Amino acid sequence: MTAFEGCLKRLPGKHSLFWKLACLLIAFCLLMIWLSWSWGRYMEQQNAYLSETSREILSGYAAGAELAWSTQGSAGVDAWLQRMAARESTWIGVIGNDLQSLGSTPLTDKESQRLTFLRGLDWPVSRHVNGLPWLKIPFPLDPSVGSLVIELPQRFMPGRYQLFWRVVTNGVIPGLFTLLLCIGLYRLLIVPLNQLREQANAWRADQLNTRLSYAATSRQDELGELGRAFDHMSERLQGTVVLQQQLLRDMSHELRTPLSRLRVACDSEQDLAQLRERLGREIDAMQRLVEDSLQLAWLDTERTPLPVEDIQVQALWDMLKENACFESDWPASRLPCLLGPDCWVRGNLNASAQALENILRNAIRHSPVDGVVSLDGRRDGEYWHLWLEDQGGGIDERDLERIFAPFTRLDGSRPGNGGFGLGLSIARNAVQRQDASLWAENTGQGLRVHLRLLAA
Amino acid sequence: MNPVAVGLPSILTIEDDPVLGAYVHEHLGRCGFQVTWCQNGQQGLKMAREQAFDVVLMDILLPGLDGLEILTHLRQSHSVPVILVSALGAEADRVNGFRLGADDYLPKPFSMVELRVRIEAILRRVALDRRPPASLPTVRDDARSLRFDDELSDVFYQQHWAGLTRSEYRLLHILHSSGEEVLSKAFLYQHVLQRGYAPHDRSLDMHISQIRRKLKAIGYSEREVRTVWGKGYVLSGHDDGL
Repeated sequence: MTAFEGCLKRLPGKHSLFWKLACLLIAFCLLMIWLSWSWGRYMEQQNAYLSETSREILSGYAAGAELAWSTQGSAGVDAWLQRMAARESTWIGVIGNDLQSLGSTPLTDKESQRLTFLRGLDWPVSRHVNGLPWLKIPFPLDPSVGSLVIELPQRFMPGRYQLFWRVVTNGVIPGLFTLLLCIGLYRLLIVPLNQLREQANAWRADQLNTRLSYAATSRQDELGELGRAFDHMSERLQGTVVLQQQLLRDMSHELRTPLSRLRVACDSEQDLAQLRERLGREIDAMQRLVEDSLQLAWLDTERTPLPVEDIQVQALWDMLKENACFESDWPASRLPCLLGPDCWVRGNLNASAQALENILRNAIRHSPVDGVVSLDGRRDGEYWHLWLEDQGGGIDERDLERIFAPFTRLDGSRPGNGGFGLGLSIARNAVQRQDASLWAENTGQGLRVHLRLLAA
Repeated sequence: MNPVAVGLPSILTIEDDPVLGAYVHEHLGRCGFQVTWCQNGQQGLKMAREQAFDVVLMDILLPGLDGLEILTHLRQSHSVPVILVSALGAEADRVNGFRLGADDYLPKPFSMVELRVRIEAILRRVALDRRPPASLPTVRDDARSLRFDDELSDVFYQQHWAGLTRSEYRLLHILHSSGEEVLSKAFLYQHVLQRGYAPHDRSLDMHISQIRRKLKAIGYSEREVRTVWGKGYVLSGHDDGL
């Protein structure tokens, strides 16, 4: 049973190109075989019978022979035969019902022999006998009296165009059908590939925004899959390039700020201790900027899954709270966690800690004096839905998504002072790397940042 | 050679940048290490194989032979502790270095204080590995202090087990047996988690957070794990304020 299922599994899928090709080729083969068989037969038959004009002429001869016999007897027949010999090169005789000649010259033995097998006018004439066939044409008015016997002249032989028709039925028409099949296959297989090639060429010309047509990507078969994979790849490629360019541009812009401060410090006359302190501060800022940017780029480009473990959110919060209190001089009571010890999530510790820490830092930075930042959440099926709420008054509805873009600073704060605007985008990337989600919402009092993490 | 110098820890630094190399050389020398400075990968590997060093400090991007290759070759025969230093701050590089057997990874730029902490952490761990610690300082007051159980990897206090994990137990144990001394994160990573410390690595902090919760749960409050900012952690009594 399993072997059978294995076999079934190895079969191409329902929408596979295999079935299309198989059906097309089988149908084509059957059509070809049927065509050549039935047309060949038809042509053979058509070519086996005497044509209408030949029959009329031969019937005319028979009528002439009858007329000669009925008016003048054997002498008339002899005279008629003589006249006919001038017209036709083949043997002609007129015989009675007793198979004896009606003319004056009796039949030779050989001729009598031939008379034993005579064809009618509407019998098929085989091409396969040697020599020309002998025909017996009864007198039209009174067939009982006698018949004309004639060795069929070559010009009346049917099937003179047989070779031509053979070429047509066995060569030209199958050739034409095959050509049609080729065109069909080309349209089916090569045209989509050409589209892919055109898109690849467009990339070479730096047009990363070109996409395949809907027709190419909506196909159900392998070529459609290829097209979709191709589109996905270009999507990803474009995203990465845009992000890298943006990152590079923003980073060099951000680096100018500490650099220009250093330049000023270098030019102005300050005492050594002040200069050293200034140097240390600016170097720290630059280092943080470089590290954050690298971290962001790494989170965005790296696709290998992060190692996951079970994390107790309460313990995680305690750890972050200690750091945050140290950094901001807040008392721990202003950072309450309303979650119980039973809240365990499954994720990567470092990425989750970094995400939550960045969100927390952002919340603290925008909190009013004596504001409270709280963490709460509820179990939502397979997930834990956590939210972190501040009392900083919230932000414009239109900016709810924009705050997660790198280097976004909403309140126009001075660069390097309130951070570089990388924290939340690092948080979002860190959360997304774990197949969790992160979004923001205004509560009226402040900003609420939601996190949806897999429960342990 | 004077007899004092023989006892100094010897360090091999393989660093091609003349400015940074000279500075590291000079600074570590002043800190009481015996430093050998080598500017080339091939030569560095040869020296590391032939002489016995306590720590090898090595850049990743080097002329001749790259730091990761040196590490691969060196690890085939030597187990000398290696600290990788690199301006390539990428996470992948760090992971790669640890996979090849590096003991620590220090991203450039770094401060000399940081470098010294890392070196000392490794030296201390090596010393600790060489001679297993003697039994714990004598238990002072059975009722009011923690009882450590090596078999179960757990601590016992007033009829309750704290339910520590192995790493948490190791961490609490080393903090406990170091008395009131502040242990650096670099050392705790080396000793407890057997890897180098990185700024985004929060495992140690998480273990500390769990230890605090678990000790609190069993009602132990005589001493607690305190954070000494910029230095590390210490297990100390309440009266020694921050």
